[in-house]
Amino acid sequence: MKGFRAILIKEFQHIFRDRKTLAMVFVIPVVMIILFGYAISNEIKNTKIAILNHAHDPLSYTLIEKVTSTNYFQNIKFLHGNHEIEEIFREGKVRLVLVIPDRFEQSFYKEKNATVQLVADASDLNNTVTLVNYMQTIVSDFQAEQNVLLPNMQPFQINVKMEYNPEMKSVYMFVPGNIAMVMVIVTALMASITLSREKESGSMRMLTITPIRPIFVILGKILPYMIISFFSAIVILLMAVFIFQMPINGGIALLLLICLIFMLTAASFGILVSTFAPSQQVAMIATMMGLFMPTMLLSGFIFPIENMPWILRVFSNIVPSTWFIIAIKDVMIKGAGFVGILKPFLILILLNIVLITITLQRISKK
Amino acid sequence: MNSIVVKNLTKKFGDFTAVNNISFEVKKGEVFGFLGANGAGKTTAMKILCGLLKPTFGEAYIAGYNAFTEGKKIRENIGYMSQRFSLYEDMKVWENIELFGTIYKVKKSILKERIKRVIQRLNMQSYADELVGSLPLGQKQKLAFATALIHEPKIVFLDEPTSGVDPIVRREFWELIYETAAKDVTVFTTTHYMDEAEYCNRICIMAEGSVQLIGNPEELKRRMRVNNMDELFCKFVKR
Repeated sequence: MKGFRAILIKEFQHIFRDRKTLAMVFVIPVVMIILFGYAISNEIKNTKIAILNHAHDPLSYTLIEKVTSTNYFQNIKFLHGNHEIEEIFREGKVRLVLVIPDRFEQSFYKEKNATVQLVADASDLNNTVTLVNYMQTIVSDFQAEQNVLLPNMQPFQINVKMEYNPEMKSVYMFVPGNIAMVMVIVTALMASITLSREKESGSMRMLTITPIRPIFVILGKILPYMIISFFSAIVILLMAVFIFQMPINGGIALLLLICLIFMLTAASFGILVSTFAPSQQVAMIATMMGLFMPTMLLSGFIFPIENMPWILRVFSNIVPSTWFIIAIKDVMIKGAGFVGILKPFLILILLNIVLITITLQRISKK
Repeated sequence: MNSIVVKNLTKKFGDFTAVNNISFEVKKGEVFGFLGANGAGKTTAMKILCGLLKPTFGEAYIAGYNAFTEGKKIRENIGYMSQRFSLYEDMKVWENIELFGTIYKVKKSILKERIKRVIQRLNMQSYADELVGSLPLGQKQKLAFATALIHEPKIVFLDEPTSGVDPIVRREFWELIYETAAKDVTVFTTTHYMDEAEYCNRICIMAEGSVQLIGNPEELKRRMRVNNMDELFCKFVKR
């Protein structure tokens, strides 16, 4: 145990003496969350929409009031004719126009087939899709309210409430992915690099000749990175809550438990890579290709899994980050308890067991 | 008293026999040179003696411990230094010694005393707070040797300890080796320098996994009727 502690302390010394490592370990998490949080959520937030009302009846004003009452759309522009739509798109300030047709109220109550039209500028598809989705939700929400209220014809309240991420804030989506990325970088990448560095320099041989058991050498070397990445995860959560006002609806203990399990996955992956990699460069590339890229591209972090071709969906199922992100999202946003995340949780554990078993086998072979 | 006893030791990797039926003994306090071309089985034999690898069959006792069953005990009682890696470059001189002292379970108070003594012996008082990476290679090697002895092992294994250092430092290094042997510590070293082989009390030449020759360098030269170690070495390695 004394030897284990000595190695632990030594590894911390390496981290704090090497500027590159220090930057990798502490700066990246903060930069990533700021980048993803601000750059992406702001762009959508500042997009203006316009409304073209042909009906001018009470119900149409109710709908407009509902749309304007959300904090999401600011500076709504009102148009007066169809010709203005193209004009306004060309100016580029507006990406979405809500068109309320003539005789809106009448067709809603009497003919029961009222339609509204959403005209969108699809040149920036990602943002526009988000806008359209949101507007659609508002309109269908409005419709549902009207239907409920129809029998009594009471005046209704305007109450916009969308379940799960009501403002479609992208930071909500990025926080779980961000934690996954940081864990992959700080735990898996650094673990594989630091272990293969010892292999490269021959110090691993030196350490194996000492009486400490190899598993303690590895744990002593990895633990500092695990501690730091856990700390980083907490920093990201704090930033999410205090800077981006993201709620944590579920239990914090459960959240941290999931982080802990995913950290084990990442650490185990890093160790596994280092048992194959002959050099630091190879270890780095292998971790990047094996875990970093899948986390970025296949886990649903940036690109929705539903839109992938089936072969990629299959791959995404064996990427641990996929299940980690699902579990974190469910706990944070939906407030899911342990039972609610049982499936991703168990799959994560299963992937962990498989990975750790392979890793231990590789270590004992060495 | 013998600190290393090897009898009919064999190590096979599948069909390949890396070490073939070797036998020798090394006395306590002896400086024993282990020679052989690359691929002669030196490294494998050394790994077995360091308790890292289990032999396929034969007998091997190191510091009285069985290489088959007491690997950990062996590792506790030996020191090891290799040319390839000596110490952590981004740690200070005293931190390196302390790290290995702690790994080898030297008591804190004793360790402190020993670190002081080592630094004094090597005249490195002014370097103690420097990072090892900033030291010249020769100093590093001497420091690595002293570090390998920090837990006062019974045997110290040196794997090409002086590769790449200049002749003056090599001489200083060998002074350290003799000093160590004088304290009854067995020194088991490999080398590619034939002049160094002459400094050993006894040498053993390996080729193709087998021991070709064992004995005192002077005696061997006389017996084989060669003028120097180079000739002797080539005679056995190039068969």
